[in-house]
Amino acid sequence: MTTTAPAPAAAPAQPAESVGSRIIRAILTQRIVLLIVLLLAVVATFFLMDVGGYLTGPYDSDYMAASLINLVPLVMLALAELLVIVSGRGGIDLSVGAIVSLTGMVFGLAYGEWGWSLWLSIILAIGVGGLLGAINGFLVAYLGFPALIATLATYYAYGSLAIVINNQKPISTKPIQDLYSTARTVELPLVGEYLPNIPLGIFTFMIPTAIVVWVILARTTYGRRLYAIGTHDTAAKFAAIDVKDTRMKAYVLAGIISGLVAVVTVAQFASARPDAGASGNGMALPAITIAVLGGVAITGGIGRVAGIILGGLLIVWLNAGIPLAIEGNNGPQYQLLALGVVLVFAALLNGLTNRKYGGSK
Amino acid sequence: MSAPTTLGPDLGAKPVKVRNRVLSPPVSGQELVLIGVIVVLWAILAFATPAFLTSGSILPLLAGVAPIAVMGIGMTVIIITGGIDVSIAGMLMVCAVITAKTMVGYEVSLPVIVLIAIGVGAALGAINGVLIAYGRVHAIIITFGTANVFQFLGLQIFGSSTVNNIPRTLSVFGAGPAGRTWGIPHGFAIMVVLAAIMWWYLRHTAGGRHFYAIGGDAHAARLAGVRVQRRTLLAYVITGAVVGLGACFTIALGTATVQQNIGSGRELAVIAAVVIGGTSIMGGRGSVLGTVLGALLVQTVSTGVTQLGWQSQLSNLFVGVFIVIAVGADLIRQRARRKV
Amino acid sequence: MTQPNLNKPGNPGPGGAPDSGLARLSLTGISKRFGSVRAIRNADMVVKAGTVHALVGENGAGKSTLIKIVSGVESADTGEITFEGAPVKIASTVEAMGLGIATVYQEPQLFAELTVSENIFTGREIRRGGRIDWPAQNAKVVELLELIGLPGRYATATVGSLSIAEQQQVSIAKALAGNAKILILDEPSAILTDAEIEVLFTVVRRLTESGVAVIYISHRLDELFRIAQEVTVMRDGQTIGTYPISELSVRQIAELMVGGILNDARTERIIPDGEPKLVLKDLGLTGKFRDVNVTVKPGEIVGLYGLVGSGVSEIAATIYGIDHADAGSILLNGKAISPRSPRHAQKLGIALLPANRKVEGMFSFQPISFNISAGHLSLLSKGGFIDRARETKIAKTMISRLAVKTPSEKQPIGAMSGGNAQKVVLARQLVERPEVLVLAEPTQGVDVGAKEEIHRIITELAEEGTAVLVVTSDLPEALRISDRLLVVRGGTTTVEFGPEATQVDVLAAAAGAVDEKGKAL
Repeated sequence: MTTTAPAPAAAPAQPAESVGSRIIRAILTQRIVLLIVLLLAVVATFFLMDVGGYLTGPYDSDYMAASLINLVPLVMLALAELLVIVSGRGGIDLSVGAIVSLTGMVFGLAYGEWGWSLWLSIILAIGVGGLLGAINGFLVAYLGFPALIATLATYYAYGSLAIVINNQKPISTKPIQDLYSTARTVELPLVGEYLPNIPLGIFTFMIPTAIVVWVILARTTYGRRLYAIGTHDTAAKFAAIDVKDTRMKAYVLAGIISGLVAVVTVAQFASARPDAGASGNGMALPAITIAVLGGVAITGGIGRVAGIILGGLLIVWLNAGIPLAIEGNNGPQYQLLALGVVLVFAALLNGLTNRKYGGSK
Repeated sequence: MSAPTTLGPDLGAKPVKVRNRVLSPPVSGQELVLIGVIVVLWAILAFATPAFLTSGSILPLLAGVAPIAVMGIGMTVIIITGGIDVSIAGMLMVCAVITAKTMVGYEVSLPVIVLIAIGVGAALGAINGVLIAYGRVHAIIITFGTANVFQFLGLQIFGSSTVNNIPRTLSVFGAGPAGRTWGIPHGFAIMVVLAAIMWWYLRHTAGGRHFYAIGGDAHAARLAGVRVQRRTLLAYVITGAVVGLGACFTIALGTATVQQNIGSGRELAVIAAVVIGGTSIMGGRGSVLGTVLGALLVQTVSTGVTQLGWQSQLSNLFVGVFIVIAVGADLIRQRARRKV
Repeated sequence: MTQPNLNKPGNPGPGGAPDSGLARLSLTGISKRFGSVRAIRNADMVVKAGTVHALVGENGAGKSTLIKIVSGVESADTGEITFEGAPVKIASTVEAMGLGIATVYQEPQLFAELTVSENIFTGREIRRGGRIDWPAQNAKVVELLELIGLPGRYATATVGSLSIAEQQQVSIAKALAGNAKILILDEPSAILTDAEIEVLFTVVRRLTESGVAVIYISHRLDELFRIAQEVTVMRDGQTIGTYPISELSVRQIAELMVGGILNDARTERIIPDGEPKLVLKDLGLTGKFRDVNVTVKPGEIVGLYGLVGSGVSEIAATIYGIDHADAGSILLNGKAISPRSPRHAQKLGIALLPANRKVEGMFSFQPISFNISAGHLSLLSKGGFIDRARETKIAKTMISRLAVKTPSEKQPIGAMSGGNAQKVVLARQLVERPEVLVLAEPTQGVDVGAKEEIHRIITELAEEGTAVLVVTSDLPEALRISDRLLVVRGGTTTVEFGPEATQVDVLAAAAGAVDEKGKAL
């Protein structure tokens, strides 16, 4: 039993640290600071390239605002991942994309085929998402499945059900098509004329979700329990916290958010598509990437809403600029490269700061 | 060594008979169950659809199982060390497009093209391995990142179109008559041989056993003198190499065209096969035989679902259910063992 | 106090090997600091070939650190190590193993999924033609297993399927598989039954006969007389001396360990008469403890003193609902209770300060206020939200009441010293004054100043009427703080001491030499 290592305890007490090294340390150890620096660097680079005429299209505030439409599902699902990853014990949810597909189909059926009202249909989507999340949570928290495996299994199962539920056919009846109007951009009241028009989904879905998740994590007793079990579940048990119940609820919440994303996605595509959450790279992988980039520790107990939003903005505005900077239609490919490089870089940085500064917290 | 072993005069008198192997039985309980499940499924399918137990149905099934199973051989090793690799879809795509373009552009013989694919795969695997073993970052995060980078590489090489008119060089691995000898699909046979070699390697060599030690307790393994970082790197290089081979099989099973989505979803399919085969995602336990059986089960289900005339996507529902059952059974067994 | 001659050449011991008596390992002037803590000061020790050399001392006396230096886990700041007459530097565990220094730690470092044979040879497999030579390896393993008293067929069993005691024997076999010249056994008997200890001793004797030097660490002083030839006593990071064991008695060793430190004058407390708050009646848990009888009145501090493996920690865990008793009963205010979970125990009014601060107590990278409020979230909850003003207020109150040294309640607990961190974990138990407070090793790894303060807080709490049960393996603490002290040995409460007891009495009682001064229950 070695006594606690003296190095980290002594570090803050160092008397004369130069301003430069303080800034470097803030960037390396405070994820929020790093993200802001990166975000400014990205935006400044594209602005300068725009001014210098190196871009094929204008990279201005209107363009940046319009690109925010991609931010909505990305940030919402990353918030879902935030909740489950913070819950610890290898928490992760690979099934969020499949939940989006399946819930989207159920929502599409209710609103587009059975003639339910919009509100009732949204409530149904929340309920279905929560139920699917509860299955994940039960497997992980109560039966002790590794989260990666449990959600891999449900990824398959939910994705399969999403496809067979309506015989592989998308639903795009009149009411569904009319939903597209909710995906439009809006001018803000009062200050709107000075600001670019922003996609409506930011206000109707993303910001409310972010606020709710922030309140849950930072202000409620449930959030406390969640951080406690994620930090150390044995200590949480000794502190009389119901570890299983708390962990299960994280998955339920992730399911509910995925259910809301399903509604957003249906509106955005004007169609309930059975493969909505599984096309291309799927939705789970980018969401996990944003979460990790945003400073969520894969080992649990660490992660903030602000990190997710900044991470999401970074990726979205980077992705928006890349097609303008790259000749031809190779843009999306460079977006993949950027996402991958940024993630590996962030992860290696985490490892480095852990060794050098005793962790980025 | 001399000190303890020369002790105790009563020892040498009657040597205790110990089985020469010091390992668990070659076929574990989970594997026996899997074999049972596959046999039952085949019986049910044979009963339900007369077309199932014909060579026109079984041979494509065996040929089709080869790519997933061969990639599963590498993934099993990675998961035994306590890691994971979610980048193999991207890897498969890079290997496939390089292989396909080489075949279209140059006249290359079969061995050369297979070596190119394997070499490219091993190089990509080495990138993962170096980052994971020496960067000390959790494998899932690194491979999520490299998955995107590999996708980028693949798409760059594709150049925004499909690769068409691929020569039939690789048809020896295909599902057609050229892909069979004495009725056995070559891809399947190669996969079985590789699986057998890896099975032997993991069970009977020091290097193989060290993978298990790393997955069991990396710290204790390091104290015992295991070169943890090199071993970890090797696991990812092996996986890269078999993904290269898997790319050859995949091209051969398709038409003369390689699409950009060639690897899509394969990473999870391979992980599913490994997990159904009884390899523990926590590391330290698992076998290649289980993985091959897992892949066979998944392929049987998808063939069966198609032949029964159900919607083909329904097979994924069964895959999900099988994962839950396989891992759940394992959890119950472990819990029971801990109580004893 | 008799003071035997220091460093007198010891008896060769029964059946000494030919080269026994030669110094195999000498440590001279070893010192080691951890930050501001001087773990070892100027330690000397000479271990002779073919002998068993016991190393004893109270918790925190520096035994483990000294062992870590010998086995290459830590390196000494100053001092010399001589191995077989030549000075050596031991910079890593691999170097130590290369010299033939093998260590068996308390927690076996084994791979549960691999077989015994594989575990023993991991990293040095016997190979033939690229593969492991199972027959050759097995033959060796069978020999080793028989040597240490395990059946040869265990060679093919997975380690996970063996009992803890058997796993430890496998660890010894693993240590011997190399060319061990010095075998270090760190409290090997703590988790073993009497029969298993017999087997262990047989093994150790055979090893010394063949010339191996064994360093044997144990808290069970009585057993040293059956196995060791020499004993080195440590106290406060210093080696007090090395003695032939035949010249000492259990009581004398205890005196050397405790040293000249007198029992602190404890202020006599008057315990209010009243009905017992907590009663453990014939409490038992198969394999852990049995027939445990304890009574604690409101305002009383009862000490439960026992060595590692005596069952004390499991008794504490049972009261708090982590383990579940299968015999006897727990009475709270005269009513039988059976705590199902820590949550349930907390609802009943029972609080526990866990023994292992790092594993069971701390949320290490979370702030102090988080750590204090973690156990009281329903109290701090206002309609599901945290009452953050109240949380801060409680944290600040606790910081000043417990004299926690920190600039603010927002500091993460992981960066604090052991004593301060322990105070924070203790503060969590005090937010809602519990009816019964169980403290497991309340001052383990805590510096002297903080220890004083923690004791003061515990006493204050008792004054307010809480029934306090202190479970500890720290004897001076047990004596100092308890109104009554019960000794737990072999899984059951044996002897009870009043405030007049001395350390030597209790140590001797716990170590097995039940002394006429102890009053049997």
